[in-house]
Amino acid sequence: MQPHVQSGEQSGEQPHGPSHEQPFASLRGQLQEAAATFAGGQDALEGILLGLVDDVDRAVREPLEIFPVCHHSPASALAMARRLREKQPKVVYLELCEDMAPLLTELRNCKLPVAVQSFATEIDGFPAEWSPLSVVAPITEASAEYQAIAYALDTPGVELVLVDRSSDHVFQWDARGEQHERTDQAADPDAPPAEEEAALHGDAVGVDIGDLRPRFAELEEHLLRHGRVRHWSEWWHQYVELPLGDSDHDTYRQVMFLIGSLFRRLAPGDPHRVRVDEDRERYMWTRMREHRAATGVDPADCLYVCGAFHAASRVEEFGIEGADTFEISPRSATKWQHGLIPSSHAAIEAQFGLAAGSVSIAATVWAKNVKRTRVQPYRLEGQAGTKKSRAKKKAVAAAPPVPEIEAADRLTGFLQQPPVLDALDEAELRGWSVDVVRAARRNGYLASTADAIAVFETSILLAGMRDRAKPTPYDFQDAAVTCIEKDAVPGRRDVRRIVEIMMGGDRVGQVGYESLPPLARDVHYRLAPLQLPLEKRGVQRALLDIAGRPELEACSDVLWMLRRLLPHGAARPIMGERKLGERSIQESWDLALGTHQRALIELGYEGVSIEQVLEQRLRRTAYAPTATAATVLEAVEDATLYLGSRRLADELGSHALTVLAAERSVDGAPEVLRRVRRLLAYYRTSEPVLPPWIESFVKAGYAHYCTLLPVAFTDEDATVRQVAAMLGFLFSMESLALSLGCDRTQLELAVGQSHPEDPSKTALLWAAQTHLGTLPRAELRSRCDELLGNPLVVPSYPRYLSGFVHALEPVPGLTDFVVEAVSNAFGRLPDPVLLPWLPTLITTLRKDGADLAPLLIREAGRIFPGRLAALDEWVPPWLAQPVVDAARRGGRTGGGAGGGAAHAKRSTLLVAHPQTCDALAGLLGYDGAWASADPGADAGSGTGSGTGGGGAVLVGRHPETAAALGALLGG
Amino acid sequence: MSDLLRAPAEIKYAEELDWLESIDDNPKPFSWRLSPKMVRLFIVGSERADGLDREIAPKWFGDRSFVERSIVTLASDRGLLLIGDPGTGKSWLAELLSAAISRNSTQVVQGTAGTTEDHIKYSWNVSMVIAKGQSRESMIPSPIMTAMETGTIGRFEELTRSTSDVQDALISILSEKYISVPELGGDQAGEDGDNIVFAKPGFSIIATANSRDRGVNDLSSALKRRFNFVRIPVVTNKKSEAEIVRFRTEELLRRHQIELDVPPTLLDVLLQSFADLRASSAAAGSDDEKLESALSTAEQIGVLEDAILHSNFFGERALTARTLASSLVGSLARREPEDLAILNKYLHGVVEPRSTEEGGSWPEFLEGGRDAIATLS
Repeated sequence: MQPHVQSGEQSGEQPHGPSHEQPFASLRGQLQEAAATFAGGQDALEGILLGLVDDVDRAVREPLEIFPVCHHSPASALAMARRLREKQPKVVYLELCEDMAPLLTELRNCKLPVAVQSFATEIDGFPAEWSPLSVVAPITEASAEYQAIAYALDTPGVELVLVDRSSDHVFQWDARGEQHERTDQAADPDAPPAEEEAALHGDAVGVDIGDLRPRFAELEEHLLRHGRVRHWSEWWHQYVELPLGDSDHDTYRQVMFLIGSLFRRLAPGDPHRVRVDEDRERYMWTRMREHRAATGVDPADCLYVCGAFHAASRVEEFGIEGADTFEISPRSATKWQHGLIPSSHAAIEAQFGLAAGSVSIAATVWAKNVKRTRVQPYRLEGQAGTKKSRAKKKAVAAAPPVPEIEAADRLTGFLQQPPVLDALDEAELRGWSVDVVRAARRNGYLASTADAIAVFETSILLAGMRDRAKPTPYDFQDAAVTCIEKDAVPGRRDVRRIVEIMMGGDRVGQVGYESLPPLARDVHYRLAPLQLPLEKRGVQRALLDIAGRPELEACSDVLWMLRRLLPHGAARPIMGERKLGERSIQESWDLALGTHQRALIELGYEGVSIEQVLEQRLRRTAYAPTATAATVLEAVEDATLYLGSRRLADELGSHALTVLAAERSVDGAPEVLRRVRRLLAYYRTSEPVLPPWIESFVKAGYAHYCTLLPVAFTDEDATVRQVAAMLGFLFSMESLALSLGCDRTQLELAVGQSHPEDPSKTALLWAAQTHLGTLPRAELRSRCDELLGNPLVVPSYPRYLSGFVHALEPVPGLTDFVVEAVSNAFGRLPDPVLLPWLPTLITTLRKDGADLAPLLIREAGRIFPGRLAALDEWVPPWLAQPVVDAARRGGRTGGGAGGGAAHAKRSTLLVAHPQTCDALAGLLGYDGAWASADPGADAGSGTGSGTGGGGAVLVGRHPETAAALGALLGG
Repeated sequence: MSDLLRAPAEIKYAEELDWLESIDDNPKPFSWRLSPKMVRLFIVGSERADGLDREIAPKWFGDRSFVERSIVTLASDRGLLLIGDPGTGKSWLAELLSAAISRNSTQVVQGTAGTTEDHIKYSWNVSMVIAKGQSRESMIPSPIMTAMETGTIGRFEELTRSTSDVQDALISILSEKYISVPELGGDQAGEDGDNIVFAKPGFSIIATANSRDRGVNDLSSALKRRFNFVRIPVVTNKKSEAEIVRFRTEELLRRHQIELDVPPTLLDVLLQSFADLRASSAAAGSDDEKLESALSTAEQIGVLEDAILHSNFFGERALTARTLASSLVGSLARREPEDLAILNKYLHGVVEPRSTEEGGSWPEFLEGGRDAIATLS
């Protein structure tokens, strides 16, 4: 039961309504009666019903012709085309953001649907978290607005004026809370997950011409239930679209006015939304009056295209004679960029909460209607993506403008007519049934001819149950689901989707090359040597033989930058990698630039070339308040890697220095160490001298980490890994830092000041001390033995071990000792301690020590016997040592780790070639003779053992040094 | 029908059906007692706009397109298979459909692991066979066969619980629409032609299958082809769920002749807690983190029924949040450590903050739940 029949029922009695000379007098009378019958007298119902007629009346009387439309309505589009041919207006006012005007002519280069986008990243006057701002207005071919645009742009002497608020005002009037509310409403718990195409608009705010839908849920529910339809699009199709299909202009207008007024009067809805709507109406009328004042155009030559909802407006500013009380607020200082992005039917449906497939179905209906009614639609000259078969359209058949007749009451007749029943088109339905079965088979369903028959039969039965002779596409969809779908297999298209695709499918638009921003065009131009149709959707494989064709290297550079800038999947390397100092000679890529056209276009808003955009982004990351030394170094690396820009790298590097100096935590230490090492290695091999910034960085880092070391050792928040990384930085950069003027004492003091309590950090400290020479290995070994021997400490031994494992990073020379310590742990730790610790060891090695583990394993492989047979007589080297020690007990205990054999070798060497030593002694002024080799000369042993005869003689001869030292020490 | 514990739909709504039949002037397919539109009206209830003199209450809640698709399937050549999670109202819909179409919803075969082909086709009255030999007289027709002979709707509950060979007995019934009885072959007692039972127009089968048991005995593709599948989803819309629960509870109260008020706030608490538990089940990674229960609407009604009966017979004749909570815990905790742990986590992680925030019945609900868990563990 549809609304118009209800009022029609009452039409039997002749009204005695107010005797104005108005076209709607009789309708008024009938409605008054109806109100009296149903509600018993003067009350709200009468107010609403008569108000409806008033609205229609006012809109019809407006001297500037208002053309009400509904979005994605083929009937609107058809009526529009017809009206434009008939009236040939000179000025078309269109409800669309006024700042989008310059872009509309670009539409002809694109395959529709595309969306006109306003985009702003540099925002001013809005909360920063709204950034980036984006507004999209999708345009399909089957829409009334496209008809108006095509007519206005391609007919000489016709002006198209966009009158709706600018994109800036969209956000000025935006209450963010409301946005969320609306998306919540649209979320249907049973809805299938969105397809990829549905995300084409990103998170832009959509603006649409002619949004016409009940504003409160109860009304919509009521209409749906009574219309025996499932969603709004279906209701619209059956109760407005079909009856209006071939009606004349007056009927069309009046009915649309009525619907707009109905939704407006019945549903005040969210007050904020109402206010925005009214402000928009004021805005539009103010703009139209301004335009008319400026050009002096006759209202009779104008056409105002707006949503039916806005046509039923009651604001004071309504009409060309309306009040001029509205002041348009100035735009904010936000810098807006404009462009076209590809859109799709699915994206439009998702954005505006329409039923899935409804836009596609509208497109199909439009094509059919155009064919049936032979109305010549307008189309932009050279519109891409359309067939050019129709040769040349006849130079617009300039039908003489029809003289305006006084608008008569067409509503009464329309409201009284019985529901329009579309006759059953058997051939069409049969075609659909066969097609859907074939499509289902292609998608892996077990569907046969029997199913086609069943679908056909079920569609007709379903339509019958829903009071229509002809199955709508929605009935057909239901029938197909009933008869074909047996299983829900994840990853397979469901039948509903198959039907949608069959009904014209999801059409994805494409922005033509000429309408792309310079950046996107530049990218396409630079990738042209690949000889791939990159503008097409889908994934393309690019093979780059750079060694064979050096000109492809430039393409490779572009691709790597795109990979850095575009979302995942737009450019994906399959083979080949880019690291500092490395270049591939062959690369292969999976490119999907066509699919990610929107991302590329939005990149174009940020700059004119990808290099520029990348540079900006790197700068932004590096100078962000949250940037750490590690992230800045990453930016430096990227700048070198992708841009090859020393200038930028130097600038960012210097900034890294300041960031590092301001850092108080050591969280980023491992990352900083890794990156600095990599950069150093790169600069050492590729540059003649190190860039000054990295020298200062090493210097500053050395001092910085020395300062933080004692704190980090005791700080509970700093992990072993971080401390190890600090030590790694200090030890591995030491030689460079010292050569640049740092002082080693600083490090020694820092280590001396460190008193960790945590066992693993203690172990780390011991390792550091060993490296610095303050803790001999023998001592280290005995400390470990003590730990193992003390039953009270044994449980914490594993933690010491993990400290040693981490120590491999700063002190790789300790590897053999770590192997020994681990082996000792396996050999001597009691099982209750050892077993719980094993998983920890494995995870530590896997997580933190991915690059340390190979080191350990190699060392272990060297120490342990390789064959099983050798195991029996194998003695671990650390156990074998006492024997060797005993062998050379007669000699002096040397420093270092060398055994007695090495010691002997050195002595032999000295005896054989005494010249060096003699020369050195001569220089120092010592002229002693060589003693016999046997007692063991100490020339080869390390420092700290030089109290032999030679030394005493030297001091005796030159007492000055010793005296001076004594004076210094003694004070 | 006070002498029946549970009257089948055609008896329970007999008067309504009679009235609908009397005013039905739409064309009826085959031997249907009501036209498809009236069947739909009977099931989903009437609107003011239908212009009827009396109101028809809705009996099945859910998307009406499911009902339409089911009715249309029965009018076509294929059988109807209702498939969905336990407790989504499949069997109830099947009962309503057969009651409305053929006024007989009791021709039911229950599919189990022990169902044999005899249950679907026919079996013999052994003593009569010994006495008189095999004849139509000594044959015991199955409910399906009876439905064929009378041109009515036969029902097959839990189709996927029965084994594949038994299921496949339906293939010939659904495509050839007859059952041949070879024992009555020409040379035996029966005459020629008597050994085949043909289906009369109007015969069709409504089967139900539990989508959780799909893997147990999946249908053969030959059988799938002869059924139209209508998938009934779990109701997740809070509003319609509330409607269902209210409807079923009222019916229940009437049946038990209990006069007890279900406060709307408690209904909200129940619906909300089920919604929460469903959300947590959906987010769970493994089966151990999920309640074993499917958390369907029927389960909710079960919880409410339990609480109502408990407070009626043991309580103060008023439903409290405390009783509701203990019923909830009692019905949902099926596995000893896992389910209890989940409920415990739910009570402390979700209900506790909510009870301090919103108050209302939640604090009492929380307390009741805690006590129940403490008793069980």
